[in-house]
Amino acid sequence: MLEIIVNGKKIKAEEGSNLLDTCIENGIQIPHLCHKKGLSPVGVCRLCLVKVTGMRGLVPSCCTQVSGGMEVITEDEEINELRKTNLEMLLSEHEHNCMTCESNGTCELQELVYQFGIDKIRFPVNKERLPIDDSSLVIIRDPNKCILCGRCVRACREITGNNILEFSGRGPRLAVTSGLNEPLNQTDCRSCGACVQACPTGALTEKPARFQGRNWELNKVRTTCPHCGGGCQMELWTNDNKIVKVYGVEDENTINKGHLCVKGRFGMDFVNSQNRLTNPLIKKNGRFEEANWDEALDLVAKRFKEIKEKYGNDSLGAVASAKTTTEECYLFQKFARCCFGNNNVDFCVRFCHSPTGVALGRAFGAGAMTNPLDVDERADVLIVMGLNLAENYPVGADRVKRRVKSGKLKLIFMEPRKLEMSEYADVWLRPRIGSEVAWINAMMNVIIREDLYDREFVKSRTDGFKELKKVVSGYTPEKVEKISGVPKAKIIDAARLYAKADRAAIMYGMGVTQHSYGTNSVSAICNLALLTGNLGKKGAGVNPIAKQNNGSGAGDMGCVPNVFPGAQPVNNPEINKKFEKAWGCKLSSEPGKNLSTMFLTQGAVKGLYVMGGNPARSGPNLNKLRQTVEDMEFVVVQDIFMTHTAEMADVVLPASTFAEKDGTFINGARLVQRVNQAVVPVGNSMPDWKIISQISNRMGYEMNYNHPKEIMEEISSLTPPYGGISYERLDKGALQLPCPDKEHPGTKYLWKDKFNTKSGKGQFFPAEYADPAELADEEYPFVLTTGKSLCHMHTGAYTQESQILSGLSSKDFLQVHPSDGQKLGVSDGEAVKVISRRGEVCLPVLLTDTVDEKMVYTTFYSVDIAVNLLTIDALDPVAGVPELKICAVRLEKSTN
Amino acid sequence: MLIQSVSGLEVLKKRIEENKEKLSQKTQVIVHEGTCGFASGAREVLETLKKAQKNKGLDDLVILEHSCIGCCYIEPYISVIESNGRKTLYGYLNSDKVNQIVEKHFIGGQVTQEHVIDTDIPFFNRQEKRITDLLGKIDPFKIDDYIYYDGYQALGKTLQTKQEDVIAEVTDSGLRGRGGAGFPTGVKWNFAYQAQGDQKYMVCNADEGDPGAYMNRSELEGNPHAVLEGMAIGGYAIGANKGYIYIRAEYPLAVETLRKAIDQAKEYGLIGKGIMGSSFDFDIELFLGSGAFVCGEETALLTSLEQKRGTPRHRPPFPAQKGLFDKPTVLNNVGTLSNIPIVIRKGAKWWSFIGSESTKGTKVFSLTGQIERPGLIEVPMGISLGEVVFDIGGGVPGGKRFKAVQLGGPSGGCVPAKHLNMPIDYESLKEIDCIMGSGAMVVLDEDACMVDTAKFFLEFDRDESCGQCLPCRRGLPLMIDILEGIVQGKGKLEDIDKLKELATTVQKTALCALGQTAASPTFSTIRHFRDEYEAHIIQKRCPAGVCAGLFETRCRNACPIHQDIPAYMALVKEGKYEEAYKVIKQTNPIPMILGRVCPHPCEGKCERRMLDDPLAIREVKRFVADYAYEHGIVYNPPQKNPRKDKIAIVGSGPAGIGAAYDLAIEGFQVTIFEALSVPGGMMAVGIPEYRLPKKILQYEIEQIKQMGVEIKLNSKVDSLDKLIDSGYKAIFLAIGAHGERKMNIPGEDLQGVYMGTQFLSQLQAGKLPDIGKKVVVVGGGNSAVDCARVARRLGAEVRLVYRREECDMPAILEDIKAAEEEGVCIDCLSQPVRILGNGRVQKIECQKMELGDFDASCRKKPCQLEETEFTLKADTVIESIGQVPESRTLVQSGIKAQRDGRLEVDSYTLKTDKDGVFSGGDAVTGPLTVVDAVAAGQRAAFSIRQYIDGEALDPVLARKDPERYIVPLAPEIEPQEKAKIQVKENDPGLRVRNFEETLYTYSQEEAQEEAGRCLRCDGGKTNA
Repeated sequence: MLEIIVNGKKIKAEEGSNLLDTCIENGIQIPHLCHKKGLSPVGVCRLCLVKVTGMRGLVPSCCTQVSGGMEVITEDEEINELRKTNLEMLLSEHEHNCMTCESNGTCELQELVYQFGIDKIRFPVNKERLPIDDSSLVIIRDPNKCILCGRCVRACREITGNNILEFSGRGPRLAVTSGLNEPLNQTDCRSCGACVQACPTGALTEKPARFQGRNWELNKVRTTCPHCGGGCQMELWTNDNKIVKVYGVEDENTINKGHLCVKGRFGMDFVNSQNRLTNPLIKKNGRFEEANWDEALDLVAKRFKEIKEKYGNDSLGAVASAKTTTEECYLFQKFARCCFGNNNVDFCVRFCHSPTGVALGRAFGAGAMTNPLDVDERADVLIVMGLNLAENYPVGADRVKRRVKSGKLKLIFMEPRKLEMSEYADVWLRPRIGSEVAWINAMMNVIIREDLYDREFVKSRTDGFKELKKVVSGYTPEKVEKISGVPKAKIIDAARLYAKADRAAIMYGMGVTQHSYGTNSVSAICNLALLTGNLGKKGAGVNPIAKQNNGSGAGDMGCVPNVFPGAQPVNNPEINKKFEKAWGCKLSSEPGKNLSTMFLTQGAVKGLYVMGGNPARSGPNLNKLRQTVEDMEFVVVQDIFMTHTAEMADVVLPASTFAEKDGTFINGARLVQRVNQAVVPVGNSMPDWKIISQISNRMGYEMNYNHPKEIMEEISSLTPPYGGISYERLDKGALQLPCPDKEHPGTKYLWKDKFNTKSGKGQFFPAEYADPAELADEEYPFVLTTGKSLCHMHTGAYTQESQILSGLSSKDFLQVHPSDGQKLGVSDGEAVKVISRRGEVCLPVLLTDTVDEKMVYTTFYSVDIAVNLLTIDALDPVAGVPELKICAVRLEKSTN
Repeated sequence: MLIQSVSGLEVLKKRIEENKEKLSQKTQVIVHEGTCGFASGAREVLETLKKAQKNKGLDDLVILEHSCIGCCYIEPYISVIESNGRKTLYGYLNSDKVNQIVEKHFIGGQVTQEHVIDTDIPFFNRQEKRITDLLGKIDPFKIDDYIYYDGYQALGKTLQTKQEDVIAEVTDSGLRGRGGAGFPTGVKWNFAYQAQGDQKYMVCNADEGDPGAYMNRSELEGNPHAVLEGMAIGGYAIGANKGYIYIRAEYPLAVETLRKAIDQAKEYGLIGKGIMGSSFDFDIELFLGSGAFVCGEETALLTSLEQKRGTPRHRPPFPAQKGLFDKPTVLNNVGTLSNIPIVIRKGAKWWSFIGSESTKGTKVFSLTGQIERPGLIEVPMGISLGEVVFDIGGGVPGGKRFKAVQLGGPSGGCVPAKHLNMPIDYESLKEIDCIMGSGAMVVLDEDACMVDTAKFFLEFDRDESCGQCLPCRRGLPLMIDILEGIVQGKGKLEDIDKLKELATTVQKTALCALGQTAASPTFSTIRHFRDEYEAHIIQKRCPAGVCAGLFETRCRNACPIHQDIPAYMALVKEGKYEEAYKVIKQTNPIPMILGRVCPHPCEGKCERRMLDDPLAIREVKRFVADYAYEHGIVYNPPQKNPRKDKIAIVGSGPAGIGAAYDLAIEGFQVTIFEALSVPGGMMAVGIPEYRLPKKILQYEIEQIKQMGVEIKLNSKVDSLDKLIDSGYKAIFLAIGAHGERKMNIPGEDLQGVYMGTQFLSQLQAGKLPDIGKKVVVVGGGNSAVDCARVARRLGAEVRLVYRREECDMPAILEDIKAAEEEGVCIDCLSQPVRILGNGRVQKIECQKMELGDFDASCRKKPCQLEETEFTLKADTVIESIGQVPESRTLVQSGIKAQRDGRLEVDSYTLKTDKDGVFSGGDAVTGPLTVVDAVAAGQRAAFSIRQYIDGEALDPVLARKDPERYIVPLAPEIEPQEKAKIQVKENDPGLRVRNFEETLYTYSQEEAQEEAGRCLRCDGGKTNA
C-alpha cells in the first residue's frame, strides 16, 4: 500500500493501480468515459485529466500509475473548463437524441453533461448521419450515438478475444466497424453482448429490450445464470413481470466479472415464452387435458401409492434434474427415498459425467472439479480435451483465448474436430475419436521415459505407480500413432509441454466421458495429473467441465442411487441411521437403480417421477428407450415446457423457472451461488420444491417449508461439506465447497495436503485401451458423434423456446467433410438420411472441414430431429454411461 | 568479404584508396540523381552523357551516379572533377546543354561558362556541411565509397570503448534529437542503457512526413551508411542487438539505398553477428510504413512496428523503458543517427564547437516555398533565420514581400519578419511559440494568406489525426469550421476567441504531440498576423488574395480602388474602348493619372504570371484613358439626386479627389479647400512632368469640378470648428504628407541644399534657381529618384546616395532602372555625415555603411563603418528621405496625431475622434501611393455618407459593384505562352534632354492584343 495526496487529502492506494480507479475507490469522482475497469486504459476521452506535481501538463489519470507521495489535483477552474469544452466537442460530434435512446438514464455521457450543466451545444453539429446497423438479432449499433471511446472495441478484443469490432478510418472519419465493415450479422460475432455492456452511451444497445421500459423503471435482481455450469452472475432487469435485459455482474469476486455469453445475455426469453406450461395436465384417452392442482396432485399421489403397494418398494423410480435448485434436488431425493422407500433416484449425470464421479472419486476421494473454473487464470499450460470449450463454456473460452493471446498460457487442445480453440492451440492433437486412453497413456509413456514426472509427488502422495508404469510402458508414441492417428511427434510435444510446466491444468468434457470406456478415459487423465504432481495446487488439477447449471448441486444432494447428500453412502449403516433419524422414516440401504437401468431395462420400474430432464431425447437408442417408458404404468413429468419426455407422461406438472424462485445453484467448480426470484411464476406454475412438498404431503410424508432458505438449513445440518453454507453468507458472496462450518472461507482448490482416499494418497488406476463398442465398417462407414452448440443447451428443451437463441441458430446440421460430401453427391443444405443399426434420421448437410473424413457430427436441439434414435446403448461397465459419442452410421442421399 | 577485426577495416580502406587514386586520373562526371534529380530530368542528362561518351569515344570520362548535394534549385545538374583538381558545377541542364558541355568542356577542355553555377555564393559558402557532406560525393550504393571517407571507423572505435563511455561521449557532445523535440540523445541512450530488459531495440525514425520536409529522404538517398553506423553504435551503447528502420514506403529510392546498404554492410560483417570480430551482434531490418503521418510520433511508430493500427499511446512509460514489444527502445531520427559516427569519430569536443549556447552542431533544413534558391542546406545551430532565408536562400523571388517562415510543419509556427535576427536554436524558437521541428522551412511571401495557412495545416492534421482522442478528432474540425467561416467572410470577431479556446483545449488535452501541437500554426498566425484575421472578419477581405470566397478575381482584390479589371480587359479586346472607359470610371476618378503612376499591385497577383508574364493592366488602362481623352469622350458615373448637405474636404490631392468624386456621385455638395495655389496636392507638386504631364492632371481635376465639386485654392484651413459653423456637415482631412524629414546633419542650412518636395514644387512653379553641375540626391524612395531624374534633365551630373543596397530601395524598380539608364549614378551603402560649403554647398561628406541585422522591413539595417569617409563634390544637395504630414494646426483643433504628425483615425471607418471629421491618405499613413490615397478618399466618402444618414459606421466597405457591362465570355480554352507587350519608351539619351513623358502608350492593336491575354479568371461573370 502506498499513500498519495489527492486534493490535499492523503489517501491509500494499492501499488500498481491506476490513479483513476484509486480516486474513485476513495470517493473522489473524476469524469471519464473511455475508461472501464477490467479493460486496458487508453486515455482517449481526455476527460480524466488531472494535474500531478512534477509531471508536465495534464495527465490522464486512467493511464497514470500511482506512486508513493504523488500529489494530485483532480479539479480546478482550468481543468473543469477544459473538460467542459471537450464535452461540448463530444456533443457536437453527433446528434445525441436522448428522447428515445435506450440508454437514457444509464448513459454516462448524459450524466456528465448534466453534471457540467451544459444546456446548449456551442459548436455546430455538422457530421453526417450514419446508417444504423440493426442486422443482428440482438445488438443494435447506432454510430450516431458513438463517442468513439473504444470500450466496445477493447471489450471485443480483451474480454472475448474475437476482435469483431475494430476502429476504421482516421481523424474525423474514425468509426467503429464490425468485421470487414460488414453488417454485424455477417461477421463471426458470437452475440455475447460484451460490447453492449461496455458501451457508455446508447451506441450499442440490446435489440430485444427496445421500447420495453426505461432504465429507471426496471427492477434489477441479481441471480445466477441457468444455462451452463459456469455460474455466471447476472442481473435480470425486469419490467411488468418480463425479463427485459440482462447485465453481467462486474464484481471482481464473480467468476465471469461481468462477461456473459449469448445464452446468458440474450437467452432469457424462454421464461416468458408462450409455450410455458401454466396448468397441470392429465392425459385422458391419449390426450392431455388441463386440470387443477388438487386434481393432478391427488392423482399422482394416488397412483404412486397404488404402484408401490402393487409391485413393492422397488417399483418406483425418480429422475431428478440438474437444472433445478440445490434445495429442490435435495427435496426431490428426500421425497424419493422417504416416499418411494427406495434409492431409485438418478439424474442426467448418468448420461454424461458419471465416469467423472467414479474415476475422480476413486483416485482422489471425490468426483468434483479439483480447481476453480478460472483455473486457466493461474495455469501455465492448459489441456482441453473432448470439450468444445468455445461453445459449451464461452465465458471461460474467452478467458483462455485472452490468456493465450497475451502469451501467458500455452494451450494443448485435444479434439477430433477442428474447432475454434484449435486456432489458439500451441499443440493440437487431432486423435481418432475414441482413442483417448491410448494417447494419454502414450503421453505418460513419454513423461516417464524422459524422466519428466514429479518424482517427489509420486513418491509421497500417490499409490500404484509401479502398475501404472507397467501399463503405460506398452503405449509408445510410435504404437499409439497407429491407434490414434496422432503423429508421435505431437504426442511427445504435448507430453513435454504439459510435464515441464509449473502449473498445468486439464479441462475435459463429455467427449471424454460419454463412452463405454468413459471411466477408463477419466482415470487416464487422473493418472496423468498425479504423475506430474498437478494436483493440490493453484492453476492445475483435473477439471471436468459441467454441461448443466446445477449438475453439481444434484450430485451433491444425493440424486444418485448410491449416496445420500454429501456423498454419504446409503449402504453405510451409520449414515443410513443418521438420515433415518433426521428424516423420520425408514430408508433403504440398498443402492438403487440408475437412469440407464430405469430407461433401458424393460420393467425395471413401473412408475416414474421425472423432474425436468429430457431423457426421451438425450438418452441413447431412443426407440428402445421409448418402448421402456411406454411400458411403464404411470409416468409423471414435472417441467416448464412440454418436452418429448413430458409428451409420454400421464400427468404433467407445470414448474417454475429459475427466474421465478429462490434457491442456489452450484457451479461446475463447487461454487454455491444464490438464485433470486425476479418475476412471479407464470400462470399456475409452481416452483418444484412446492410441488414436491405437496405430493409428499399427499403421500403421507409431511414436508412443510416456507422458503428454500429453510431447506438449505436442513441441508447444511446433514451434509458435511455444506456445513458452513447459509443464505446469510451467500447473500454476501459465493462460497466454494467444501465449506464445513460457519467460519470456513470455502475451498478454492482440492487436495492441497492430502486426498480423501483410505491411504490419503492419490490412487493410480492404470487403464488399458479398448475399442469403442461400435466401429465403422463397410456397411456403416461413418462414425457419428454429437455435441452442443453455442446457442443451445443439448436437446434444446428450453433454449428452443427462446426466440432469440432459436433465431440465432435455427436448426441442426449434419457436418460432413467436403470430400465425403462430394463422394455422396450432396451439397450444403441438402438433406441426407443418416442410418444406424438402430434407426434413421434425416438431416440437412453442412459441408465443412471441421470434421475429418469418414466422420460426421451433429447437434440435436431441433424439435423434429432425434439423433439419439441412432446412438448405441452400450454402457460403461462401472459408471453406466451410454456410448453416446460414437456410433457407426451410413449416409444416404435423401430422395424427398 | 568479412571484416574480422577493426584493423581489417583499415586494410580495406587502404585498398579502396588505391582504387580511388586511379579514378582521380580521369575526368569524373557526377550526375546527381536524388528524387529531385529524377523528377527534373537527371535521367535524360545521364542518357545524353552516356550517348555522347559512346559516340565521341570519350574513354577518359567516368560517368558516376550520385545523389543530390542539396542545391535542388539548379536541377538537373552535374559536377565535373578533372584530374587537375578543377571542379565545375553545371546546372539547369537539358540534353542540348549537356551536348554543348561535352563539346566545349570534355572535348575542348574549356569550361562552358554559360551553364556554370557560381559556387561562391552564400548558398554554398555559408553552409556547414557535416552529415550532408558526403551527399553527392559518394555513390550511395557503394559501401566502399563510405569507407573511403572514414565510414565505420566510429563503429570500430566504439567496439573498443565501454558502453558507458560511448554514452558519455554522445552526452558530452550536446547532440539533441533532430526529429524536432530536441531531447538530448545521450540522456535518452542512458535511460535505455539503465533500463532492465533481456531484449532492447534501436529504432530509426525515417517516417518523415511534414509538408515540405525532405531532409531524411535526401540523407538516406545520399548516404545510408551513416544511419546504419549510428544505429550500430547506439545498439552497442544501450545493449540492443536488433534495430529497425521505420521508413515510409513513399521513399522508394531511399528504401533501395538502405536495402543495398544493409546487404553490403552485412557482407562486410559491419552489421550482423560478431561485428568486426567482436562479440557484438547487431541486426537491422527495414520496415516500410504506409504513409500515416501520425506514425512519425514515436509511440504510434512503435505500435505500427508491432503490426498494429498505428495509434499513439500515453507516455509514460517512455519507449526507453517500455517501447517496442514493451522492451526498452531507443528511437532516433535519421538526422540524429547520421551525426553519431561524426561525434564518435571526431569527439564530443570537436563536434560541439559550433552551434549556439544551448544547441550544438548543425541542422539540416529543407528550404522551400517562395524562395529564390530552394534546397537542402546544413547550417550551424544559432545562425539567424534571416541569413538562411536571405543570404543562403536568396530571399523571396519576383520582388515580392517576405511575410514569414513556416517552421516545423504542421506542429510548428510562423516566424514573421520581425524575428529574422533570431538565432535558430530550440530555446529561441520556443520563446516565439515556434519549434525547430524536423527541419522543414517553408518561406511565405505576401501572396500567402496566414488564415489560409493556419487552415491548411489544421486540415493536414485533421486528415492525419488517428482520431482516437477526442480533442484532436473533434477539436480540429471545429477549428477548421471557424476558419472556413472566416475565409468565406462569415467570421465574427469573437470567432478568434473561440478559436483560441478550442486551440487551447486541443493543445492542453490531446493525447499525443500531433494533437498537442496541431494548434501551433493557428496560435502563431493569430499572434503575429492578427491583422489578417481581422481583415477577413471585419473588412471581409483577404489581403493576400487567397481566400477565394472573398473576391471575384485576384487583380481586383489587390486593387485598392477595386477596378473591374477583367471587364474592361474584355471590352478592350473587343475594341469597345468607350465602354471600357466607363467601366474604369465607375471606381476610378483619375484613370489617366493612375494609368501612369499606379504601382499596379494588381499585376503582382495576375494569374497570368504563372504562365508567362502578368498582364500589363496599368498600360491597358492608360491606353483606354488616353483614348477617351484624345477622342473627347467624357464620362462620369450618374450622380444621385442632389442633397443639401455640404461636405468640406481639406486638400485636393488624390485622397481629397477620391472622396470628392464619390461624394459627388452620392449627390452631396462638396467643397475642397486647397492651401496651395494649384490643385492636385502631391500629384501636382511631387510628380515631375515627364511622369505626369500637368495638362493631364488639370484635365482630370476639371472633370471632377464638372461634377459640381468646388475647389478653393490658396485656402488653408485653420479652424475645423469654423468650417462646421459655416454649415459643413462633415469634414474630410486629406492634407497629405508635405513636411520633409531632415537628416539633421551639419550643413543642411547651406544654400543649395533642398528638401525633395521643396525642390520639385519649386521646379513645378518655375521658381527653381540654377542647380549647378553636380547634384547629390540623398534617399532611395520614389521622391528621391524623381529628384535625381529631374536634376539630370536640368543637365546636372547626378549621384544618388543611399544608405542600403540598391535592391533595398523602396522606389519603383522600373524608375530606378530608368534613372540609371538616364545616367544617375547610385552610391549604395553610403550615408552623408555633413554638408560642407562656404555659404553655398560645395561638397558633401559621406560614410560607407555595412549591413547588420534585419529590421522589421526584412532589410538589413545599415550601420556606419568607421573611417570610410569620402567626399563628393556638390553644387546642390537634395535631401529626400521621407515626408510627414504637417498636422500641427489640426492638432490644435482637437485632432489626435502621432508624434511624427500622422493623424489618428479608426483604421476601418477613417473617423477621427472629432465628431463628423474623417481623415485618410498620406495624412494618416505617411507617404504611400496615389491609388492608396484615392482608395482612402473613397473609404472616407462611404463613412461620411453613413454618418450623415445617421447609420452606424460599417467597417466593411460595401463595394459598389459598378454597373457591369455585358462582357462576352471568351476566355482562351488552352492559353498559349505569350509574353507581355512592352510599351515603347523614349531613348534614355533623348529622355534627359526634356521633361516629356518617357513612356508611350499602346497602339490600339497592341492594347487589344495585350487585353486579350487576360485569362478571365473571373469566369467571364457578368450581371447580364
